[in-house]
Amino acid sequence: MSNSQQIFEAWLAGKITASECEQQLDPQSEWLERFHTAQMLQRQAKAPFYAPVPEIDTMPMFSQQWQRPAKSNNWWPKLSVAFSVLALVVSLSPLELQMQDSGLTLSWRGGQQMQQQQLETLLASYRKEQQDYIQTQLQNSQQQQASQLILLKDYLTEQQTKERRTDMLELVEYLNQQRQSDWHYWQENYQPSQARLELGTSPNTQNR
Amino acid sequence: MFKRSDESLIEKAIGGDAKAWQQLVSRYQAPLYYFGLRLLGSPDDARDLLQDVLIVLCRNLAQYRGDSSFKSWLFGIANYRAMDMLRKRKTTTEFTEEHDFYDDEAPSFEQQLYGQQTQRLVQQQLRCLPPEQRLVVELRFYQQFTFDEIADQLALSSNTIKSRFYAALDKLRTQLELADVEQSANF
Repeated sequence: MSNSQQIFEAWLAGKITASECEQQLDPQSEWLERFHTAQMLQRQAKAPFYAPVPEIDTMPMFSQQWQRPAKSNNWWPKLSVAFSVLALVVSLSPLELQMQDSGLTLSWRGGQQMQQQQLETLLASYRKEQQDYIQTQLQNSQQQQASQLILLKDYLTEQQTKERRTDMLELVEYLNQQRQSDWHYWQENYQPSQARLELGTSPNTQNR
Repeated sequence: MFKRSDESLIEKAIGGDAKAWQQLVSRYQAPLYYFGLRLLGSPDDARDLLQDVLIVLCRNLAQYRGDSSFKSWLFGIANYRAMDMLRKRKTTTEFTEEHDFYDDEAPSFEQQLYGQQTQRLVQQQLRCLPPEQRLVVELRFYQQFTFDEIADQLALSSNTIKSRFYAALDKLRTQLELADVEQSANF
């Protein structure tokens, strides 16, 4: 590669200015003429170009090639699929749809049995609890009754003893009163008679 | 304003974002059309080329792997299609007034008119170059690709591209000198 070519290509690449290139190139060489022609072409290339550009509608081919069909906003198919899935789930799962009393009921299959079982378990538990409570209450009541009977027996026994003692005292008092009364009677009626008797019989009786 | 990268637009377009695709197309529609116009010389051919390239781009959008810039990849497709069209046509269409693709309705100040005349002359002479050389000049000056990028796009060596480029410059200079002499003689 000649030096002139290097200079020319450096100008083409924008590394040196046009005047620098012109100065450095040999005036007699073909490179200077090439430089002038290229300079003229460069000016021409930078000149504005006024020919109108035709409009080419590229949208149809672009749409065909790259645009996906617009998503349909129709929701009927989606709804249909949704209901189908729901029906499938209902038929496979323990869910149950029932028409009852003019109403639609969604429930779990076997739910009633489960409820019954739960109720029975609860009732059994309640029954057992009640039985325990009654048992306890009965035991408490029996114990209380027994203790009350003992107390009553003690009381009655005590009262009986008291009454017996009182009766005995009254009897003793009566007997004492009776004896005293008998004594008075004797003193009044029999003692003088006795005394007379004793007096009347006493020497003979003693001689014998 | 924030400009989204080509890669980001491609990613979104692949995901079906029509806006991103529209943005990508509008970014490269004009450069591709002018490329076709300069290379093929006919607005109809340029339109066909643009349509072809956009169809290929749309179909193969997902094949862009980011090994090179998107512009380079896209012009690789455009080069292939343009050269294919030129080969099918075989004969180079002469630049005529019917194929004058400069819009006279556009701002027409005197300076711009003068500029347009020069531009027409250069375009005429460019169209006289062999298609391979014309393509290299187009890609190097108008699309600002480096020699290496052009070599990648055309699957050729960098030296081949350079030799085509320098041959094109030499030929163009000769043609322009001749045209200048003819113009002077006409006056």
